[in-house]
Amino acid sequence: MPSNRRKFLASAAGIGVATTAGCLSSLGGSGSDGTNVGVVYALGGLGDKAFNDMAKQGIDQAIDEYDINYQGAEPSGNSEFPTLQKKFANSNNPDYDLICTIGFAQAEALTENADQYSDQQFMIVDSVVEKDNVASYVFKEQLGSFQVGHLAGLLTQRDFSTGGDGMTDASTNTDAATVGFVGGKENSLIKKFEAGFIAGAKHAGDVEVRSAYAGSWSDPAKGKEIALSMYDNGADVVYHAAGGTGTGVFGAAQERGRYAIGVDSDQSKSAKEYKDVILASMVKHVDTAVLTSVENVVNDEHAGGEVSALGLEKGGVEAVLGQELGSEIPSEVKSALEESKSGIVNGDISVPTDPENA
Amino acid sequence: MRDRNVYVAGAAGAAVAVLALFVFAFVFPVDWVVALVDQLDTSLLSAALRLSVPIAFAALGGIFAEKSGVINIGLEGLLIASAFTSIAVAWALQGSVAPTTAAWAGFGAAVLASTLLAALFAVVTIRYEADQIIAGLAVWLVALGFAPFASQIIWDSVNSPAVPTLNNWVAPGLVDIPVLGPAVFDSNPTVYLMLLAVPVSWYVLNRTAFGRWVRASGENPKALDTAGVNVRRVRYASVLLSGVFSGIGGAGLALGQVGQFIGSGQTMVAGRGWIGITAYLMGNYNPIGAFASSFLFAGLNALQFRVQQISELNIAPSLVQMVPFVAVIVVLALVGKTRIPDAAGDHYESGDD
Repeated sequence: MPSNRRKFLASAAGIGVATTAGCLSSLGGSGSDGTNVGVVYALGGLGDKAFNDMAKQGIDQAIDEYDINYQGAEPSGNSEFPTLQKKFANSNNPDYDLICTIGFAQAEALTENADQYSDQQFMIVDSVVEKDNVASYVFKEQLGSFQVGHLAGLLTQRDFSTGGDGMTDASTNTDAATVGFVGGKENSLIKKFEAGFIAGAKHAGDVEVRSAYAGSWSDPAKGKEIALSMYDNGADVVYHAAGGTGTGVFGAAQERGRYAIGVDSDQSKSAKEYKDVILASMVKHVDTAVLTSVENVVNDEHAGGEVSALGLEKGGVEAVLGQELGSEIPSEVKSALEESKSGIVNGDISVPTDPENA
Repeated sequence: MRDRNVYVAGAAGAAVAVLALFVFAFVFPVDWVVALVDQLDTSLLSAALRLSVPIAFAALGGIFAEKSGVINIGLEGLLIASAFTSIAVAWALQGSVAPTTAAWAGFGAAVLASTLLAALFAVVTIRYEADQIIAGLAVWLVALGFAPFASQIIWDSVNSPAVPTLNNWVAPGLVDIPVLGPAVFDSNPTVYLMLLAVPVSWYVLNRTAFGRWVRASGENPKALDTAGVNVRRVRYASVLLSGVFSGIGGAGLALGQVGQFIGSGQTMVAGRGWIGITAYLMGNYNPIGAFASSFLFAGLNALQFRVQQISELNIAPSLVQMVPFVAVIVVLALVGKTRIPDAAGDHYESGDD
């Protein structure tokens, strides 16, 4: 079947071109001087309005402040992490001074590549890779999640409503004090979000927390259905830690006239179509981590082998109230949040990292 | 006839299972059983219908193509292409026309894009007689690579911004029917389309001349040719139909439910086209059976989301997420009566050429 084989090869070649074209995109300038930074993004890609976009913000800030050249790559699957990391590490023109690997899913690939390219400086966000040339940045997500959980728990017990002026009318349902949590894939990282959120909601009183996982970071239809089922069961506020799946949660909030809480970046800004239902966002300052790592490299002080754990006090994580709804939140609630924040910082409140203990 | 028995048995089995659950809940009022029974409501039914849309449409498309003798495993790719196109066009028209017009224009463009991709597949497999499986895989992989690539060019990201969705249609009067009314008659237009397309497809396949040609083209193309019907033309029409149906399914997912295109990972379509293939095989190429299978899968998914939320039931979410897939395998093994059309996958050379 020679003709069949030829057709197969032809189609396979076409596929190859189409898929590789999708993952490497040139976004930065190509000046000759300065520091060269390569970024391998997490799955979900730029425009996830969360994690990856925050990393890009850090890069943009670094571009503004220092003379750096930047190249980004958006992998479409876990299997591409090692290849893309190697691609940057192998490159001679430009020779990358720092390779930022965004997301815990890259840790395994980086552990191998850090050995293979022992002269290359790497940084990883959201995981710890114990190698001398890798600077690791992790966040205490449970603390920020506790804060938004506390907010959700306080509001679900009150009569709270917003709307008018072209905004979606939204309100809490006073019959049941219920809030919800939607996770992407179930793993120990996302469980930290869940644990903190549950603990925060319970800190506010006798509040029921419903939680479920979608099993995907890029399936907003599932995210929406899960959130709808929570709202239909009396939930007033749903918090998501589910990447692209999470935009479905916002859609569900608008449809039911209830509230949602965003994650990773201030989603009332980054997903502004939904700002009328986003109460707050649990912001993880990936931008700070990326910027700090670039700064260190520019100053020749790469923090290889070190682990920075960013919590509430250093501004690593924080509950940022929504652009539109922040001003509507009653001041008693805000001061209660301040109280629990200082309670966490000075150790009076201990926040679990496993939902079993929440 | 055997077909019908299987459905009757399946429906009876499901009914008995639900009934058993209710009885069990009544006799043993264990917390989690009561909580589970509590979830069998209107909200679940409407979620199952919405989740069925892309799967059922892909399945309907697959039935027409394969019944005519062309195995179209590129359904996943057609869904991706239409999901992307619907959002891209609706986004481009945003602001210049009314939101509803933009959404429906996106819907039309999505059906067109999916049909064009299916036409390309038809030409390659029918005119140039390429291997149908390989060409189908190519359709999937090309869409999987191209949609995020095009998103990157348009939006500088593999994901799109949000656009307004198709608004729900409410059927006055009918919506007041208890349980069924709010679930069915306050729905997205694509849900109504699905509920219409399933019986119409069944009718066309089983009660019209075109349906007879499609079936003959897949079972015994020589006989059809001898009867004076152009086999190629029938196959082209069937493959194009699979494009139209998949187009509605993809647009129904992206524009009907979410209002955004997500191109990362396996894209937002996330295997619904493959499940569609399983659904029509499970339904043995009967549109009604295919819909029942899609609905079973979607319903179990909707239920699965709710089961995870029952705090009395302490099962790992990852295990609960597997339930729909396990159920599909079990049902496939039990039904196991799928009969593939005789000439499916074969090229047909008319003696005239």
